[in-house]
Amino acid sequence: MAQLTAHKRVLHADLHGDRIRAASGSMVAVEGNVDFKSSGMGGGGGMRAALKRAVAGESISLMDCSGSGRVYLALDAMDVLVVDLAGDTLTVESEHILAHTEQLRLDVQFSGLRGVTSGQGLATTTVSGHGQVALVSEGPVMALEVAPGAELVVDPDAYVGSRGQLSMNLVSGVSWKSLVGEGSGEPFSLRFTGHGLVLVQSAER
Amino acid sequence: MTYPPGNPYGGGNPYGGQPQPGYGQPPGNPYGQPQPGYGQPPPGYGQPPPGYGQPPPGYGQQPPYGGPPPQGAPSGVPATLNPQSLPDDDNVNPYVFCIALNGEWFMSKGAMLAYYGNIQFDAVTEYSSVQAWVANRFSSPVYIQDWVVAQGHGKLLIGDRGFDLNAYDLDDGNLTIKASNLCAFSKQLELKQSIVPGFVTLIGTGKFIASSNGPVIFVEPPFRADPDALLGWADCPSPSVHHDAQWMTQNIRGMISGALGRASGEERQYDFTGQGTILLQSSEIAREDPAVLRLVESQTQLLTNAQAGSLGQRLVARAQQQH
Repeated sequence: MAQLTAHKRVLHADLHGDRIRAASGSMVAVEGNVDFKSSGMGGGGGMRAALKRAVAGESISLMDCSGSGRVYLALDAMDVLVVDLAGDTLTVESEHILAHTEQLRLDVQFSGLRGVTSGQGLATTTVSGHGQVALVSEGPVMALEVAPGAELVVDPDAYVGSRGQLSMNLVSGVSWKSLVGEGSGEPFSLRFTGHGLVLVQSAER
Repeated sequence: MTYPPGNPYGGGNPYGGQPQPGYGQPPGNPYGQPQPGYGQPPPGYGQPPPGYGQPPPGYGQQPPYGGPPPQGAPSGVPATLNPQSLPDDDNVNPYVFCIALNGEWFMSKGAMLAYYGNIQFDAVTEYSSVQAWVANRFSSPVYIQDWVVAQGHGKLLIGDRGFDLNAYDLDDGNLTIKASNLCAFSKQLELKQSIVPGFVTLIGTGKFIASSNGPVIFVEPPFRADPDALLGWADCPSPSVHHDAQWMTQNIRGMISGALGRASGEERQYDFTGQGTILLQSSEIAREDPAVLRLVESQTQLLTNAQAGSLGQRLVARAQQQH
């Protein structure tokens, strides 16, 4: 069973004759005997998911790492977080995926208008199954709990992913009137309701 | 004025100027939860892999993988935070600060990461027409459009480009800080534009939050600082600009002929004298501050029409040179 371990900003992936998928170009060093190969359409989930991804503009480029040894993976000196999945689903922005173990399934979920406003594509990626997924973030990730009575509003640029029974919708933070003629700011935010966790990074852009 | 509680960066003050720990608020771990797995020895390669980590308490399902507890970094989602467990007016981690909002705060546009509760953001320009006190507190037309008023009740998380964030308590003092590094300040404080371009001055008693690229270094005058590394200064007179003597002699002819002297950037320093404290950040990365353009533009009103025309020609020439 391949094992992912986060060490500050480097992910250690220990392979034992099996395979992981990792973001293309994220390998910084390797020990042992490991083969790298492009995953073709990339991202896993088969042809249909790849097609959906192409339509949705959710870009993800993964490579297969197989063999025995340890692979060191890193991306832009961003912090690394390993999340264990045991049959549940993690929703994550594809640009935050560094690597995942073979048994996990990646799929594309359309998220409606949200992608339009955050400029991060029309869709988000869901990761499901049993295994581990490694996420990168600017600064450490905070896990913020959402529960009835504790709704959460997040800046689209700080949003990394979420887990649980959540529904997401857009809220307008700063009123339209005040934004006329001003380029920056937070015209839209994401409001989460339901039960679950939202992962937020500490840099807003 | 007081400085951030404790020294979160381990090392003492290398300049021996300002005592840091215990200054102001009680010291302690200002960042709440320690980073999981940092500083722990990595599991040796070749050893049998440790089992998947135990999930954090109260979260998710138990993974079906057995095995001994990991000796490396605990995997899984970091400790869950909710409105109750988030700190009141303290750092969540070195890069995120949590404001327990109850009323109004001034906030830099774009600093908001997330919030719980019922909070509204209004542009300062908008809000000042509703609440007259806002205009008194925020007297900087150059920066006003980059700021919002956050009002309501809840927990507000702010961050700035992943820089280190620190809260500072100002006690009937005045502190000047680089405008692009000021993230938020309480409404009790008054903001004014500093004479030094790109800097703003906070006056009064209250709290403010500022970012720094790397830890903040406190120094006492007399001191010369690189303009990019300079974060701000407190209680001392505004700096004068010091030019390197060698650079001066080399460039004096060029200046007489009217060319704008440009060189390595190290020949120009800010010179501080008098009593007070200077704040430095340990990096020189500067961000393009949109307000600087507005600031310089407003200053051109001092020029006569003929002067403005010749300045315009020079600027056009410079822009063409860079292409």
